Amino acid sequence: MLSLRQRAWISGGVSALVSMAVGILLLYTFLNERESDRFDRALTERHTQVVVALSYAVDDPARLAELLFDPQYQTPFSGRYWQVTSPDGQSFASGSLLGASLPGGDTAQAVLELRDATDPDIEEVRIAAQRITLEDGNAWVVAVAESLAQLKTDRRNLRQSLGAAFALVAAIGLASVLFQTAAIIRPLDRLRRDVAQRWDHDEALSAAEYPEEVAPLVGDINTLLARNREIVSRSRRQAADLAHALKTPSAILRNELSVLAERSQDMGKALDALDRVDAQLARSLARLRTANTGETVQAKTDLSHSVHRFQRLFGMMADREGKTLTVACEPGLAVRMDAQDLEEVLGNLLDNALKWCRTRLSLTAQKRKGGIEVVVEDDGPGIPESDRAEAMRSGTRLDTSKPGTGLGLAIASDLLQAYGAVLVLEDSPGLGGLAVRVTLPSQGVRGPRMG
Amino acid sequence: MRILLAEDELVLCDQIKKVLVAEGRIVDVANDGQEACFLGTTEPYDMIILDLGLPVRDGISVLREWRSAGVATPVLILTARDGWSDRVDGLDAGADDYLTKPFHLPELAARVRATLRRSSGRSNPLFQQGGLVFDTRHGRATVNGVPVDLTSQEVAVLSYLIHNSGRLISRTELSEHIYEYDGDRDSNTIAVFINRLRKKLGPDLIQTVRGRGYMIDAP
Repeated sequence: MLSLRQRAWISGGVSALVSMAVGILLLYTFLNERESDRFDRALTERHTQVVVALSYAVDDPARLAELLFDPQYQTPFSGRYWQVTSPDGQSFASGSLLGASLPGGDTAQAVLELRDATDPDIEEVRIAAQRITLEDGNAWVVAVAESLAQLKTDRRNLRQSLGAAFALVAAIGLASVLFQTAAIIRPLDRLRRDVAQRWDHDEALSAAEYPEEVAPLVGDINTLLARNREIVSRSRRQAADLAHALKTPSAILRNELSVLAERSQDMGKALDALDRVDAQLARSLARLRTANTGETVQAKTDLSHSVHRFQRLFGMMADREGKTLTVACEPGLAVRMDAQDLEEVLGNLLDNALKWCRTRLSLTAQKRKGGIEVVVEDDGPGIPESDRAEAMRSGTRLDTSKPGTGLGLAIASDLLQAYGAVLVLEDSPGLGGLAVRVTLPSQGVRGPRMG
Repeated sequence: MRILLAEDELVLCDQIKKVLVAEGRIVDVANDGQEACFLGTTEPYDMIILDLGLPVRDGISVLREWRSAGVATPVLILTARDGWSDRVDGLDAGADDYLTKPFHLPELAARVRATLRRSSGRSNPLFQQGGLVFDTRHGRATVNGVPVDLTSQEVAVLSYLIHNSGRLISRTELSEHIYEYDGDRDSNTIAVFINRLRKKLGPDLIQTVRGRGYMIDAP
């Protein structure tokens, strides 16, 4: 599909070319006709001069050359000629003809006739010829001719200057098409940028800042954005309600079963079944959670702030277990991610690292070329390269010796996937255990420019 | 040690209360956010267990109100929400620890002990002085290695004094921490409990400061 800009350019270009062609054609035809008329009028006047001169010199036609005093009549092949043929067929002509004769110049009708003719000596000329009957009743043929060379040169010049003038007009037309297109597209371009970067300004776009043709679209986009936010928050609330509704009874059941077990009744099967229910519940809730990212809402989240929140939480938890958490985070880092999604990723990664580390774990966040890189490392046993793909699959627990759902890495990985971000498992060079490297989207506009 | 348990699920509430009482804790129960907020602000609890999903008022806002009103009681949060944001929100609002549902009761009891121990600034769960060894984890006492049978009220008095060892405790304060909210508070019975403890554990452990209260020396 052609872009709006291309459409405007093509239609503008075509209309400029068509109007230029039509303009040249009309103006050229008009000017050309006027030029030809003037030429013919001048030729007719010259013919009349010769006729008048003849009426004075009818007795001695040789005097005609004296009466018709025009230097061009004397200059050989100057392009201006006359020729008079007496009733007895004797021919008198201007000096410029130098003995040649005008083609067909010795016969003519009684009415003045203009025609073009070609002769090897005098080349292309336009001839005006007429048979004149004088008072004595004798009929003379009077012909004058003018070279067409000058007229042709004039026509060529006219064409050239018309062409130049219209090329300039067309160029101005094209330039104004470009300018207009840019002016019309600008609000759309801005809308697109605003939508992509709205997380910089937060919340709704202001329809009043757009032209009236675009404003309804802005309103629609606002509605869509609000709806997206609402869907995300409603589904999250539902998931939370579901979690609450199922987990409390499950806790109650577990406690009752434990009490019975303490009274040395065999509750092994029942507790196993309850374990399965809890595991399935945790998996389903995790799936609900990852299927419901805030990606569509495109919020901007202060990463440094979230990191410090988690530094407090995990610093305290590590402290209680006699472990040490080190955090290195540049101030003022922001990511294009929903806050809850971001914290879910951070929480799961840190939780995993805390669970598996021996004494030390670390979190570093810094600006990189492709976004913001977050690395969580620990000094635990790590994951062998062959098991790493498996570790990121939902519900896979490589080692069941530690408590937990085994969903942490999978949840983080799934959430990141929704944002087009990737989670990479590596060996930690500093601490010797597992390093989880994540590059989070920072800012910037996604998608190609409009037009 | 007197604990406020704010949980709306009655059965779970009952189960938790049983476990805590078995360890010699005094437990008051609040079934909604408003009641919890009121009790937490007006009663001198040693610890609060707060469910975040309470009716009427949610747990986080209750916790914030306590903290801004200067209530420094350690708070353990219970939450059914999985989200890490919720847990961090809870800690940021001033909680000391959290536990996600479903949890095991022994784990809850352990967290309660750890929280109480931290708030008293003691890292060792065993209190030793003279021949007495008191295990704050289970409320069991031995004198020269011989187990001593203590009633739950005696355990309550002894643990409170031990958690606050080195500090003079008035009779009123003691009664506030060993009786339930609607319990019959008679500060004269405190003297009875102290006498019984002296008989069982030896006369030198608990000192009486006449007219002011009781004290156990810091170990």
